[in-house]
Amino acid sequence: MKERNKPILEVKGLKTHFTTKRGVSKAVDGIDFTLHKGETLGIVGESGCGKSMTSLSILRLIPSPPGKIAGGSVLFKGRDLVTMPEDEMRKIRGNEISMIFQEPMTSLNPVIPVGEQIAEALRLHQKMGKKAAWDKSVEMLKMVGIPSPEKRAKQEPFQLSGGMRQRVMIAMALACTPEVLIADEPTTALDVTIQAQILELIKELQTKIGMGVIMITHDLGVVAETCDKVAVMYAGNIVEHASTEQIFADPKHPYTQGLLNSLPKIHEDQEELITIDGSVPSPYNMPAGCRFASRCPYAEDICAAHQPDLVSYSEDIKVRCWKYTDKWTGKRDKEGVV
Amino acid sequence: MLMFILRRILQTIPVIIGVTFVVFFIMQLVPGDPAVLLAGEGASKETIEAIREQLGLNQPLYIQYFEYLTNVFKGDLGVSLKNSQPVLDEILVRLPITIELAFFSIIITIVLGMAAGIISAVKPYSLTDVSVMLVALLGISLPSFWFGLMLMYFFSVKLQILPVAGWDSLLHVILPAITLGAGGAAIVARMTRSSMLEVIRQDYIRTARAKGLRERIIIYKHALRNALIPVITVVGLQFGALLGGTVLVESIFAINGLGRMIVDAIRMRDLPMVQGGVLFASLIFVVVNLFVDVFYRFFNKRIELN
Repeated sequence: MKERNKPILEVKGLKTHFTTKRGVSKAVDGIDFTLHKGETLGIVGESGCGKSMTSLSILRLIPSPPGKIAGGSVLFKGRDLVTMPEDEMRKIRGNEISMIFQEPMTSLNPVIPVGEQIAEALRLHQKMGKKAAWDKSVEMLKMVGIPSPEKRAKQEPFQLSGGMRQRVMIAMALACTPEVLIADEPTTALDVTIQAQILELIKELQTKIGMGVIMITHDLGVVAETCDKVAVMYAGNIVEHASTEQIFADPKHPYTQGLLNSLPKIHEDQEELITIDGSVPSPYNMPAGCRFASRCPYAEDICAAHQPDLVSYSEDIKVRCWKYTDKWTGKRDKEGVV
Repeated sequence: MLMFILRRILQTIPVIIGVTFVVFFIMQLVPGDPAVLLAGEGASKETIEAIREQLGLNQPLYIQYFEYLTNVFKGDLGVSLKNSQPVLDEILVRLPITIELAFFSIIITIVLGMAAGIISAVKPYSLTDVSVMLVALLGISLPSFWFGLMLMYFFSVKLQILPVAGWDSLLHVILPAITLGAGGAAIVARMTRSSMLEVIRQDYIRTARAKGLRERIIIYKHALRNALIPVITVVGLQFGALLGGTVLVESIFAINGLGRMIVDAIRMRDLPMVQGGVLFASLIFVVVNLFVDVFYRFFNKRIELN
């Protein structure tokens, strides 16, 4: 499935800042990742860590003002989306790069029949006629597993269930067979059985079309199920980047470890859920050093003083932690704190 | 949809009966005795009594009301106390004039109001937005009798391009319609703006952008249709205010419409005429509301009538 040639999407040092009355919020603060054809990259992290803002930044859908892409580049097939003129960007949105949003209940226009909402993109990007676009949108609805698609296409979103609406969103996103699909928490608002169906569907269509998928989620189960590699985000940074097997088997970054540790274990009788102590620093007032330092059980002096870089631990693993550099003294380990 | 319209029409029947009830009893509360007025000054007690008898004013109120109601449904609104002509005939002469005036005014309200609102919402807090909204604020604040007189002064007296008063040609419609429609246009503009700004922040607008649609299509197809839903309600309510406004505007511009007829009738204590006039004004309002509901349903199919 993975092709180790040129990536189709290459994000380099992307920064998205929001200027508000309280100051500048660095929602996304210099992140890098790549996506290849047919590959699924998971971006995980808790609410507010910048996952969604990263995905919106790629398509330049950040509400502006107050948001702004403050630096970095997003190379799509070698062209930089950040500096591209708006009308060229429009030709890419929904055509070559599509997006599925988190809230199926509110992401469809309430007064336009769903078939029309799908057909619209086809008429625009594929220059299809009215009839052809409509037929294709019915076909798309059928493909995403909506029963009696001819009838459903004429209905408005309020006549469809949540699961069906998310299927419509997927049909809409895939109508123009995009090369990259960004799925922003596609299953969060759905119940578990529907979740599995939707993930299965995305996977199936991915194999069919061969697109690259960015799966944004805070659900580690979804990651394990669907992703080839994972980027773990914390407070606007990527703190660890590795293959899915690697992340689950041997997480390097203390935050990833904490994240995995806090998953309830099915075979153990747990009284309470394990959490990570402390809280995420305010995006308006980021600490000078490592952003996780105040919550990290390993933190040393250097952690609070300087921010570590995302460095290669091995060929496939990158981690942003002093612990894996030669600056690390390991004092607390020796003292037996951990 | 057809069932919806049919049921909605049936619902107007109790409303109309309610209107006749209110119209009838409010007139009873108005001070002054029509019989005395009709008999003229210095009439004998016998004459007044005879007139009372003739008009049925001696009977208990509920009998008077039921008589009135049955007559209304027969199309008999009584005769004017002033000139003994049937009230309905007079109304049917005046009504088209008022409807014409109201029609042009509401067109001004809708077209001007929505256009201004959209222009403002597309670039919020810009210079255009601020100036448009300032004008709208003025439009709401200016009393229509003053605004009408000012228009008359500039366009008819100073520039002499439009007729001062009367109701002969389409040119005569312009100033009264602007006077009557301006206040509503201002309210509709502000409503359209805030509704558009609200809608533009919705998730489905982001979806439309993510689809690669042009800003124009996003505004006119995806945002406007949703933003119009509350605006339609406001337009419907404005129509009511507008009917009230015809009374003033028809008086200023000397237009012989229903509004002026009601004012004259009140002054003359011409009870049947007032009743008839108010009844018809209410009927127009009921019909307009019916249309508003049907439009509403057309734009928002989620609405069900229980």
